[in-house]
Parts: sequence; structure tokens; C-alpha cells
Amino acid sequence: MANNTTSDFVTLVSSDGFEFVISRSAACVSGTIRRMLDPASKFSEALTGRCNLETLSGVVLEKVCEYFLYNEKHKDQTNVPDMDVPPELCLELLMAADYLDT
Amino acid sequence: MYGRNIRGPHSALTDFLASNNISAAQIRDEYDRRLADATRQAAEEEEAAAMDQEEPEYEPTPESESPEDKTKKRKRMQAIENIKKSKEFARRKARRTGEPDDDDDELANTMMDEKQRPNPGQLDNCELCGKRFTVTAYSKTGPTGGLLCADCSKKHADGGKKAPAKKRSSGIGRRQNQSKLLDGMSPHGTQSLLETCIKKVAEHIDDVEEFGDLPPPVMHRLSQILSRKRAVTSKTLDLFLRPTHREINIYDCASLDTNDYHKILASMPALTRLNLRFVTPMKDRIFQYIMDRDMNIQDLHLDSPNLVTDECWRQFFTKLGPRLRSLKLWNLDSAFDDETMEIMCKSCSGLERLKLKYLWKIGDKALESIATLKNLEHLSLHFSQETSPEPLLQVITEIGPKLRSLSLDEFPLADDRLLQHIHEHCHHLSKLRFTKNDLCMDKELAALFRGWSNPPLRFVDFHGLRDVDMSNPAGPAEPVGLASDGFIALMEHSGSRLETLNIASCRHISYAAYEEAFSEHKRYPELKYLDIAFQGVVDDFLAQSIFRCCPNLSRLVVFGCFKIRDLRVPRGVNVIGTMGAKLNVDGIAQKEVF
Repeated sequence: MANNTTSDFVTLVSSDGFEFVISRSAACVSGTIRRMLDPASKFSEALTGRCNLETLSGVVLEKVCEYFLYNEKHKDQTNVPDMDVPPELCLELLMAADYLDT
Repeated sequence: MYGRNIRGPHSALTDFLASNNISAAQIRDEYDRRLADATRQAAEEEEAAAMDQEEPEYEPTPESESPEDKTKKRKRMQAIENIKKSKEFARRKARRTGEPDDDDDELANTMMDEKQRPNPGQLDNCELCGKRFTVTAYSKTGPTGGLLCADCSKKHADGGKKAPAKKRSSGIGRRQNQSKLLDGMSPHGTQSLLETCIKKVAEHIDDVEEFGDLPPPVMHRLSQILSRKRAVTSKTLDLFLRPTHREINIYDCASLDTNDYHKILASMPALTRLNLRFVTPMKDRIFQYIMDRDMNIQDLHLDSPNLVTDECWRQFFTKLGPRLRSLKLWNLDSAFDDETMEIMCKSCSGLERLKLKYLWKIGDKALESIATLKNLEHLSLHFSQETSPEPLLQVITEIGPKLRSLSLDEFPLADDRLLQHIHEHCHHLSKLRFTKNDLCMDKELAALFRGWSNPPLRFVDFHGLRDVDMSNPAGPAEPVGLASDGFIALMEHSGSRLETLNIASCRHISYAAYEEAFSEHKRYPELKYLDIAFQGVVDDFLAQSIFRCCPNLSRLVVFGCFKIRDLRVPRGVNVIGTMGAKLNVDGIAQKEVF
């Protein structure tokens, strides 16, 4: 995975060390991640295809990844229901969404 | 016995039952007794079953049993004999053809067991987990014929077949779709995660103890959603009170009381922007408090503070007026008259934004006062009184050169001179609203835009500029309101920068004018919102041309455009208000069903 900026998959790492490998197109729904991974930026994230998201815990990042895929899956459909978010995670996820610009 | 007559609180039901000679206590006692009976019976059965298991091979000898057991045994044998004679037994036996025929006894025994299964309301032990539970009509039968407790029943059912998927007819979601469209949400794809979460938080607002470190824009959005759900109460208000934040926006304060306003002001001393709507219970002493504390309020936006007296307003403006940067007031009918307005305009010399809507007691005099506000950059007026055109001209002459947005809602007596004054004095406008007027002529509107030194406008709202004459729907020969010429001039002048255009019910714009404005090579790159409601001439071809000319369009409002029947809508555009039209979105067909 390392040194491959054109790989179709990227790795998102949570603060407690969980790694999520998901497709680049899905992850780039997030403005923050998209800018991190922009090859023109020459950020280390862009070079390695690996984003360390220090502010997000594994639980939250898992849900975020779930959203990325949910979004990817439903982008061509009409009247998509909202993704189910467990109420107890809501506020944390809200902060994460604000940070990730999704 | 004393104390006989002292009783605790009674429920209405108890009283009713007592009046009908039914004793709740008696019912309860009987229920308890029944429950106890059932428990005992079940326990006995269990014992019997245990004994059966211990000695499965041979018949227990009569000597080892007490006489009581003997009678029980005899009764059971009798019952089994009865079962063997029953129709049900014959039926079941017939069903079991192919199996060895000699297990009549076994079959009779299982049927006997089934018969002895407890009825709803009684207690039994779960067949799988052994837990004791109350049998209900919904208790499921386990794999070997016993009953299951609620938890096991559920698991068992899940393991079995799933509930059939709900069928949705294609027409059901229409109302909801339209509602979502009007809320500005795209019908395709998912919502942003942020929005999803904000909605969820709003749904569970009662369980939230603290918002934590939410950024102000998110708080603002939450406040909007909660206000819309009318869920802002004293309790939820606490979540929004941050000593360090400089602004508070609550769009529905109807359930707050005077103390809550005190709480807002006391716990947010750094406040510079106070934006509260529906503040009916706000009284003089809130303003008194602001004055006593000498708070640094710069932006004051209040909707309907009707209990605040004129005297208090005047005092407030005299004392804290100079710091005000923006003032927005809505719906004042019992206070705030022309005199207050005069004092306000004298004191608030630094005012940059002024919005006054539905203030019943102000009129021409107020306009004259507004003309003295030299620093004003944004002016938005909607008067309830009818005003004469001259004071408005004075306003434009005096403060027009500095104005960047001008919004004049419903000045029915304003005439062509207003447009000429705007043309002459305003050179920095980016937003212009002038609505519901049938005196201005089309040629004057065209003249406003032709050769105007003002840079292209970003926001234009001319809705309802048209002639209203029921007997002459086509309008007079010389067009009144925004018609073909004015529209073309407008698009030529501002098309390059225009983001929002509302020309709803400007009925006299012709097909040819549309064709010209949206011809093959015209481009309106910034246009996002276009409202052409009630323009009967717009048909599928014109709508398609609009899509071609406005690459960034996200909302097209077409209420009452009945010639729109079949559209290919580009992705990302919300078309609102079609009637039974067929909309094709990037290959996704959706026919509206009624």
C-alpha cells in the first residue's frame, strides 16, 4: 500500500490504532480526507495513502467508514433513507463529521 | 376503628369501579390467588414429569405410590383413553400414516401434554433456558413441544422466517418528497453525515446533557432544527448557553419565560449578537438588565417583543444605540411608533443593517428618519401602513449611494420615480428586492438596468411586479411590471453574477423574451436559484434551455407552469412545483402519482 498514490484503496487509522482500508472514491466524500490525499498537496498522507485521524476513536471511525460506503452505494438512487446512527454515538459522530467536512 | 376514613389518592378508575360495586382489591386478590394456584399446579406437574423421567422403562409399582398419586394416575389414564377416542386423535393418526402404527400411546401422551400446557396468564418454565415466565398468547412452541419465554420466543422467531418486506406503492412518498424538496434537500444520494447527525441529535435532545465543544455553525443549525420542531424549552436552552460564545440564535422562544431571558443574558456576558424570535414574553426589565449590565450588544434581532414599551425602546436606543451595528425587528403592533423610530435613527448612528418588517405603527415619518442613517449599507423594509412614494425617494437619494442591499417588500404606491432614483443613486447594490407592485412600468425597469453604473447584481427578487386586472388578463398594451423588455435588460445587466432570481408571477414576460434570454450561447454561470412560478408560457423546451444556460442551477421553482410535462433534469437540480409531470433525472425515471 505504501508509496502508491494511485492505489484505489486508502487506509484510515483511528487514534486507538484501528485501521480501515476503504476505496479512495468513498473516502474522498470527506473534504478533509480528499485534501489530505490530494496528490498535488505532497502531504505524507497523499504519498503513503494512509491517514492518521488522531481525533477519531475506532468506534467513531468505523461508523464514519460505514457512512462513506453507504454514501457510495446510494449515490445514484433517489429518496435514500438516512443512515441509522446510534443515539449514543451521535454527538461524537457530529464532531467527527464537522472535522471531516462530510 | 379510627383512621378508617383516611384514604390515599384514588385513581379515576378505582372510583368508577367502586361506584359500580366492583372492588379493585378483590380483583387483585383473586388474581393473586389464581397466579398462586397456577404456580403450584405447574410445580406439581414438574414433579410428576421428573418422576416419569426417572423411571422411564417400567411402570411404577402401585405400592410405591401414595393414594393421592394413584388417583392422579388413574385420572391421567382416563384422560388418555378419552383422547384416544376423540376426533382430533383420529385425525392426527391419519396424518401419521407411513410411520409405525403401534405408537398410539405415544401420540396420546403428547396430546395429553399439549392439553396440560399452561394457558395464557399462567406460569411455565422455558423449554430452552429453563427460566420461569408468564405464558402469553404470543409464547412460541419450542423444538420439542414446550413453551418458550419471551426472549427465547423472539430468538426462535428471528431464526425462522423474517417478516415479509413492506410493499410501498410508488405514489406514497410523493408528499414527503415534495416536502424534502422544499426544504432544499436533494432527492438523490445521501445527506451529509453532518446533517444526519444533527437531525439525530435533535431527535434525542432530551437525552443530551451537554453539547461539548460544538462549533457555532453546528449549534446554529441545531437551534434551527429544534426551533422548527418547537422543542426549545428551558431545559434545551441550557445546552446553548456558553459563557464564551458571542452569539445566540434561537428561532422559537415561545416556550421560554422571562427568567430564561435573564438566564441567557446572565450566563453569556460576552454576547454581542442576540438573535431571538417569537419572544412574546420579553418585557421591559430584560432591556433594563441589558442597560444595567452595559452589555456590548451589537446585533439585535428580535421577533415580536410586543410587551416592551416605547419608553423602554427609547431609553435603550439612547443608552446603547451607538454600539448597534445591526437591528432587525419583526411583528411589532403595540409599540414602536414613529417617534421611537426617530430616536432610534438619531442614536444608532453606526447602524449598518436595518430590517423592519410588519411594524404596524410606523409609516412615512419613519422613512424620513431612515433617510438620516448615513452609514446604512443594508436596508430591508416591509411596512404594514401604506406609505406615500416621496419619503421612499428621499431615502434612496440620501442613503442610496452607500447601500449594498435594498429590499422593499410591498410598497404598492411606489412608482417609476423610485426606479429612476435607484438608477441614479445606487451604485454598489448586490441585492435588490422590489415586490408586489403594479404601478411601475416595464420600460422603466428596462431603463433601470440599461446603462446602470451598478455592477451586476447577485440577488434579484421582483416577484409580483405585474398588472392585476381580472377582466384583462393579458395586461395593458404598454406592459406594466416586469415584462419582456425589463427581463431581457435584467439578464443582460446582471446575468454574469446572478445567483438568485425570483420573478414569480411576472406574467407578462413573453415566450420570445425567454427564448432570447436563454438562447443557445447565453450562460449564467452563477445562477443557483431560479423561481419562475406562475409563468404560463414556460414549457418543456424553455425549461430545457434554462438547464442548458445555468450549469450551476440547484433549484428551479415552477409552480403553476402547466406546460411543463416531461423534463430531463440534470443531476443536482431540484425542480419544485410540477404537476404530474414526468421528470427524468440522469436516467432515473420518477413519475409523479396522485
